[in-house]
Parts: sequence; structure tokens; C-alpha cells
Amino acid sequence: MPWGEIGAVLAVLVIVFVAGHAWFHIVEGALGLLKRLFFRKKEPPAWHPLPPEQEEGGSREE
Amino acid sequence: MGIFGKLFSKEPEIDMAKSDANRGKMRTLFNQVVENGDGYKLVFGFTEDVSRFNYGLVHGSKSKIGNLIVGWNEENETIVVVPTVPDLSGCGDPAYYRRSEILKAYRNKYPTDAFIIYPDRKGYIGINIYDWLEDESLYVYVSQDQEVKEFTDFFMNRYKTK
Repeated sequence: MPWGEIGAVLAVLVIVFVAGHAWFHIVEGALGLLKRLFFRKKEPPAWHPLPPEQEEGGSREE
Repeated sequence: MGIFGKLFSKEPEIDMAKSDANRGKMRTLFNQVVENGDGYKLVFGFTEDVSRFNYGLVHGSKSKIGNLIVGWNEENETIVVVPTVPDLSGCGDPAYYRRSEILKAYRNKYPTDAFIIYPDRKGYIGINIYDWLEDESLYVYVSQDQEVKEFTDFFMNRYKTK
């Protein structure tokens, strides 16, 4: 198989790969948008941050 | 370990200072949200939610990892699960699983050896526990060989229901 044809096949594979990724992110984004629109009223779960002195102590040791 | 040992060693070395610091953070977070937190031993665990997708052009599976601080009290036969994040910057509200109140608990065999707890018929939690996980972006960096042994012993001999 000549180099040109090999390059063309590889180019097609790359295009399919990139298009697949793009399509995945487009659909994920659309689904995320719909979820945010329909479940907007849901309260976020409670969150308790780590006390600041502990955070500083942890980063100093690193 | 000598120079050649380090060069050709395939096993990554664990940063014990980082691991110990994270163990301290886990304790602080746990005690912050659980009453009498010091009465519980702690281990890091995680849940893995795998879902399949089919978007026409592309299909496959994706998984969501949820980090957990798992506490257990041998006297009360209670497991407490506190959701957290890999950098331990905070945590959520605790969920209590008292042996006298749950529907069933057992250790899975396939596809993973997760610890499964059914609080009722509506849902379950599958807790995966390992000695150490290297990927800090996904999991809490903590080395916990002894804790894993103790938790496994507690779960298998005192907590599981079948």
C-alpha cells in the first residue's frame, strides 16, 4: 500500500476519533443543561469545609 | 533500598508524610460531623458508579468515583459513611448504618470484592477499600494496610448478615 493511502486511512481514523469525542461532549453538555433546567430546585447537599488551621498544617507537611 | 533497587523497582514508594497528614485530615473531618467521632476507627473507601451510554455515533461506559471516610464502631456495630473529595477540603453529611437497622450486608465477590450494605430495599452502598491508591486526582492519598485488615475483620466477623 503506498504511503499516501496509509496516510489517508490514518487521517480518516483521526477524523472519526475527533468527531466521536466532539459528539460525546456535545451530547453530555446538552444532557447536563437539561438536567440543570429541570432539577434546578433541588437543594445542594450540605458541605462542611476542613477547618483552616488543619488545611495549613496539611500543606506545610507536604 | 540501593540506587539500583530504586532505579529498577516497579513498585512506587508511598509518601508517608503525605499519607499521615491526610489521615489527620480524615479524622478532623469525621469528628466535625459525627458525634463521638473518636469512638470510631477510620478507613478510606470509595464508591464506583458505572453507567453505560449510547449516543448514536459513540457508545461506551463511564464511571463516577465517590470518595468516602468510613468509620466503624465495634461496640455499637455501626458503620458511618461520610462523603468527601480527594484533597479532603471538606465533607458531606454522615450516613449511619447500624447493624440492627439495616436489611443486609455482605462482601461481594464479583466483579469487585466491595463491602455491600443494604439499608433498606430501595438502595444499597458498595464500599471499595484498598491498602493504597496512587492516583491522587481520584482518590485520597493514604496508606492504610492495618486499617483495611481491621475493617475487613470487623465486617466479616461482626457486621455482615449472611
